[in-house]
Amino acid sequence: MAQKIVIDPVTRIEGHLKIEVMVENGVVTDAWTVGTAARGFEILLKGKDPRDATYVTERICGVCAGPHGWTSSVAVENAHGAVLPEAARIIRNLIIGAMWLHNHPLHFYHLSALDYLDILAVAEYRGNDPQLLAVKDRIVALVKQGDTAPLTPRYEPDEFSVRDPEIVITAVAHYLKALEMQAKARKLSAIFGGKQPHQSSIVACGVTIKPNAQQIMKFKSILQELIKFAREVYVPDVLAFGTGPLLPLAQAGVGGGEGNFLTYGVFPLADGSTLFKSGVIFDGKLNDRQPLDQNRITEDVKHSWLKDEPVKHPAEMDTVFDLDKEGAYSFLKAPRYEQRAMEVGPLARMLVQQPPGFMNLIKEYQIKIGAVARHAARAFETLLLCEAMETWSEELPALLAGKDARIHDTEHWKPPKTGTGQGLLDAPRGALGHWIEIEDHKIKNYQMVVPTTWNFSPRDEQGNRGPVETALLGVPVPDPDNPINIVRVVRSYDPCLSCAVHLIEADSAQVRKFRIC
Amino acid sequence: MDLDRLLTARGISRREFIKLLTATAVTLGLSASHVPAMAEAIEKSVTKTPVVWLKGQLCTGCTCSSISSLDPGPEEIILDLLSFRYNPTIMAAAGHVAQMALDETVKAGGYVLIVEGSFPTADDRFVMSGGKPMREKLLETAANALVVIPVGACASFGGIPAAGPTGAVGVGALVKDMPIINLPGCPVNPRWLYGTVMHYLMYQDLPELDAYNRPKMFYGKLLHDNCPRRGRFERGEFLTDWNSDEQQDWCLLLMGCKGPKTYTDCPQGLWNDGVNFCINAGSPCSGCTQPEFYAPGFGDTRVGFAPLYEKQNSFALPGIGGIDAPKVGKAMAGVAAAGVGIHLVARTVSGSKNKREGDGV
Repeated sequence: MAQKIVIDPVTRIEGHLKIEVMVENGVVTDAWTVGTAARGFEILLKGKDPRDATYVTERICGVCAGPHGWTSSVAVENAHGAVLPEAARIIRNLIIGAMWLHNHPLHFYHLSALDYLDILAVAEYRGNDPQLLAVKDRIVALVKQGDTAPLTPRYEPDEFSVRDPEIVITAVAHYLKALEMQAKARKLSAIFGGKQPHQSSIVACGVTIKPNAQQIMKFKSILQELIKFAREVYVPDVLAFGTGPLLPLAQAGVGGGEGNFLTYGVFPLADGSTLFKSGVIFDGKLNDRQPLDQNRITEDVKHSWLKDEPVKHPAEMDTVFDLDKEGAYSFLKAPRYEQRAMEVGPLARMLVQQPPGFMNLIKEYQIKIGAVARHAARAFETLLLCEAMETWSEELPALLAGKDARIHDTEHWKPPKTGTGQGLLDAPRGALGHWIEIEDHKIKNYQMVVPTTWNFSPRDEQGNRGPVETALLGVPVPDPDNPINIVRVVRSYDPCLSCAVHLIEADSAQVRKFRIC
Repeated sequence: MDLDRLLTARGISRREFIKLLTATAVTLGLSASHVPAMAEAIEKSVTKTPVVWLKGQLCTGCTCSSISSLDPGPEEIILDLLSFRYNPTIMAAAGHVAQMALDETVKAGGYVLIVEGSFPTADDRFVMSGGKPMREKLLETAANALVVIPVGACASFGGIPAAGPTGAVGVGALVKDMPIINLPGCPVNPRWLYGTVMHYLMYQDLPELDAYNRPKMFYGKLLHDNCPRRGRFERGEFLTDWNSDEQQDWCLLLMGCKGPKTYTDCPQGLWNDGVNFCINAGSPCSGCTQPEFYAPGFGDTRVGFAPLYEKQNSFALPGIGGIDAPKVGKAMAGVAAAGVGIHLVARTVSGSKNKREGDGV
């Protein structure tokens, strides 16, 4: 008999998210993703100075802080007719690149790994490594003390959970090391960014900082530490898990979805292209990568707590709340590309980019599109980014040499009387679009489509599910009391819920509610 | 269990423990003479103080900021100093298991409640969690707490969401009759958070607060009075072009700096392990520790700091101390406002190198 399971809120993500699934014979047969909170950023920006958008939208997300301000500044520059100086391009790439080095390992160790590890297996470690023994003592002591928060309580480990004490204790040691490294990545970003979270130096038309030699040296030295960690610890860990204990999960393609991928590309290069290329893939046809045409993006609010409006391009949307709307179940809108629901994020980027190392990896191990492939893509692109950041930090001093080297297009700093602009870049979590319309030097309309709106969108007008709603279909849930595979799939997308949702009243005692607080 | 046994059980020597406390004290801007009091406070409570961390309308930036401290590092904070019984971003728990952990902690009482994010007053449905309005969860959880610490601009005064359509407010507008320590900022600086928590644990009492319930030890001074660019201000040197080598460390007033109206220790305490802060990166202060941040919402009578990159009108009137300063340090702010005007005029009269400075007056 079909049974409804409600997970509300989902934890170890950004923001407020609810997942509802129907489970029949131990597998998911239907799913709804629900954003449960709203702040109304698009509405509050109306009538404001266009340059404020960079600062304000930066605050949409404090986890990967930076990409929103960056994308917004591109949209405002576009509307102002500004041209970004080369040094500013590189400084922005480095400020934001540091946040990717923050985000990706944090997602793996602190937001996801606890779904795959039986942490308490640490007590069984019998080896002699003094560092690992110290970790063991530490965790065992917490257990004795009766206070293992926040590592417990948790969902119960299942057949995919890693229990080998040697692997688990190494992973826990790396979890702790990664805590320190994520703080260092923030520090790295703040050297040029002012502070983190919420850097201040990316503004419309450029950056506010002209780094001196000492700051560049400091940047390079911390960057090396982070690169070393990524190359020697993070990436090997992901590969060891993905091709080792999690290989069955990887080959089963749990949490696969429809195979539609979209990326705007990101990290602008000197020749006008991007480090990670833009593109679109439909139906998992990896040999048929198509160029992106942003005019084919539409938004649909049929199932959103927003006043009905026709399906149209995001830049033309209005965004007015309607909390009592019939048939609505999420604060998120439903973006579509050629009427198709698209997955965005690291896997989309790597499948469009197709770097040989990544393609060989998934081929050799027969890894299918799914939760594990997403983790692998995230790790792989970290390596590519590390290389690029080394290059950029080498290029920077020459661009800053000479009197009054440019970091800001000050001639276009004052808002024009009218204008329209768009900023399309990928954030760590996927394609991020900002659209601005200026009238009388003020913001007339501001619209955003964020990565999580793509991935966690509700159904559209045609009744087609959002990407995660589809990806959850067929996911095994042998024990309704322990729906650990659902959170594994959900977290593999690295959700960042900054828009909002409300819930459908769960009816009757059949509904099991899991507050993944 | 006494402290020594506790430390032994956790693999920490007493020397390491004192080292951790000293590092903590130094980072928090407390004198090392506080270390014995800190040790004693921890010894008294022996077990880590439980922390419950609730979330309203937020961006998770304050959670992220709180683990971006390097000395003490996030590992020590999470495992050694405090016990995070409930923090949706870092806890392992999921589902009913986690809810039970929260229920038990709340029932037992004796915890520090940290709140991140604002709360909507236009309609509860703008933030729901576990099928309930977050506002109700906040009131229930606050009732049994030792102390309530709203972190960040949103939880303190409504922050950016307060400028929006959801009628967002801070915790103080909803929770009454409870000790509240506001730690505004966008985000909260980890020094402010751990300094306040340690102070509370050491003395079992609130630190000295200002009229907005902000600890004076962190928010007692006007940024403008301690700004590294104050000398430039005094000489009437105002940055108008970020490209100019000459102007690199000039005063950011004309670029919209809210320093003359903002109470914070950013210039001394800095951010991210002391590596930088907005003004040192050439960015104007946005005034994120003030109730005026960012802009008034619908039907809201606050003055607001928007637009952020234009000189504040209230700073412009030469010779008139008419800046609508908060009650705290009113005199000081008045002097600053007058000063702003005088210096702008001086610069213009003496023949400015930058035309736009004159425009700004």
